[in-house]
Amino acid sequence: MTDHASTPLTGPFYAALQRGELLIQQCGDCGAKTMYPKYACPSCGSADLGWTASAGLGTLHSFAVQQVGAPTGFEDDLPYAVAVIKLDDGVQLLGRLCPDARDGWDSYFCDMRVQFDATSDDGRHIAWFRAQERTSS
Amino acid sequence: MTNPMAESELEAAFVGIAEIPSGRYPDRPFMGSLVQVAITAIRDAGLQVSDIDTVLLIPCLHSADDQADLIFSRVVEELGLHGRAKASAMLHSGGSSSDNITRTAAGLIASGQARNVLIVQAEKWGSAPVSDMVDMLSGYGIPREWERPSGLTFNAVGALITRRYMAASGSTAEDMASVCVALREWARLNPNAMYKDKELSVDKVLGSKLVCDPLHAMECPMLADGAAALVMTSAQHARTFTDRWVRIAGSGGCVSHYSIGQERDLATLGWKVAGEQAFNQAGWGPEDADLAEVYDSYAAVLAIGLEGLGLCKLHEAGRLFAAGEFSPGGRLPVNTNGGLLSAGHTGVGGGTALLVECVRQLLGRADDARQVPDPRRGVVGGTGGTYMDGQVLLLERVQKN
Repeated sequence: MTDHASTPLTGPFYAALQRGELLIQQCGDCGAKTMYPKYACPSCGSADLGWTASAGLGTLHSFAVQQVGAPTGFEDDLPYAVAVIKLDDGVQLLGRLCPDARDGWDSYFCDMRVQFDATSDDGRHIAWFRAQERTSS
Repeated sequence: MTNPMAESELEAAFVGIAEIPSGRYPDRPFMGSLVQVAITAIRDAGLQVSDIDTVLLIPCLHSADDQADLIFSRVVEELGLHGRAKASAMLHSGGSSSDNITRTAAGLIASGQARNVLIVQAEKWGSAPVSDMVDMLSGYGIPREWERPSGLTFNAVGALITRRYMAASGSTAEDMASVCVALREWARLNPNAMYKDKELSVDKVLGSKLVCDPLHAMECPMLADGAAALVMTSAQHARTFTDRWVRIAGSGGCVSHYSIGQERDLATLGWKVAGEQAFNQAGWGPEDADLAEVYDSYAAVLAIGLEGLGLCKLHEAGRLFAAGEFSPGGRLPVNTNGGLLSAGHTGVGGGTALLVECVRQLLGRADDARQVPDPRRGVVGGTGGTYMDGQVLLLERVQKN
């Protein structure tokens, strides 16, 4: 697989992912947050773009569990679940869902709360999510 | 905005169509198919090949070499139009190419820059190696920096939309499967359909292998070979050689995303915005449509399209399919060729086939078994890539006085 992840645009994002952090692009001029990262701010056109850390909390918009028919290079991943996550930061992205306690995805459902899973990265440029842990607060 | 071309003598007119059967035809040559449908459509219009001054090519996806032939005017030379044709160009927006190319042709005709336009498409997806096509469809239109690393496939794109639609609408797996069954009933009436000879039931759909949960194998489109063509001219010219043609009463469009991960609502997409534009321009509403031909590479994509275009109530399309409302004999004929799901997914040509079918129905040239009785108005909906856009053409039959 060609590595498209080492460009000036993607490098900082994936380097952070490998450290267990989820970054979002933020405009230094208007403050707008952007995903996926862009070459110019889609809100004001500024090229003064930086990064801000996300708390990694959001809702699950939808997900799909690939059972067969993986692309070349992904065969050993089967089965796996891709998901569209709407972060509380106001941006969204495609990532993967960790298998649940029963080693499947039956406990997941649309609009449930999910959180970024910092422990799953193995340098493959995938943002992992799992069900949000309940807190007493 | 009302249609600026309404009542104009330079308003575009569909006058001819052609199509060859969709399916697996490994021995059928790509260029030969293009030439065959081109000549058939020109004759169907009542014109000569030499009357064509502009050739617009709908892209193929099976081969870069064959696509290059389209780009670099091989069709013009094959038809003997070299030295005479004013322009040959390919226009690509994936599954909505036919809608965008039609609007382009209409503009060229209306501005006097083209007189008789040939639009032609062929695809060899059904004969291409399946694993190559899976890899292609995991890269084509999927952002390589952001989404390919997760292993996103085209069936997963369909599954993401399907799951969101089912959650939003409360549709059951049986409702979704019934969309496929209704399309198959139409395909059984279409001699050009890939699955014209195979019956389908909800049990059969839900009993097929789970490919990408919630999608079963029989809910995923089958890649097919196919070819289709359309001929367009001005109303002024049409009335000199034919009694009946099809006009574009209104059109609209909305490009809603590039990345599927950036679509704000997977159960809405771009249809509502596109539909409102088109109906405002036409001056008539979804209730006035006699038939609809809306992109259906997955059942949920069609359900969302019908709802967004106002052809049924929001969140009800799945249940209405189950009740037979869009089947042969139902309230509103939908995808009367069997759609991409049962006529065959001819790549970019899936949308072309739906457009051709709408024009065919309005001209009254469909086979008896599936000809809608005396239709005047049809809705065409197309979409490309990961359902990045909703493109709408509202077509109307014109009968010469």
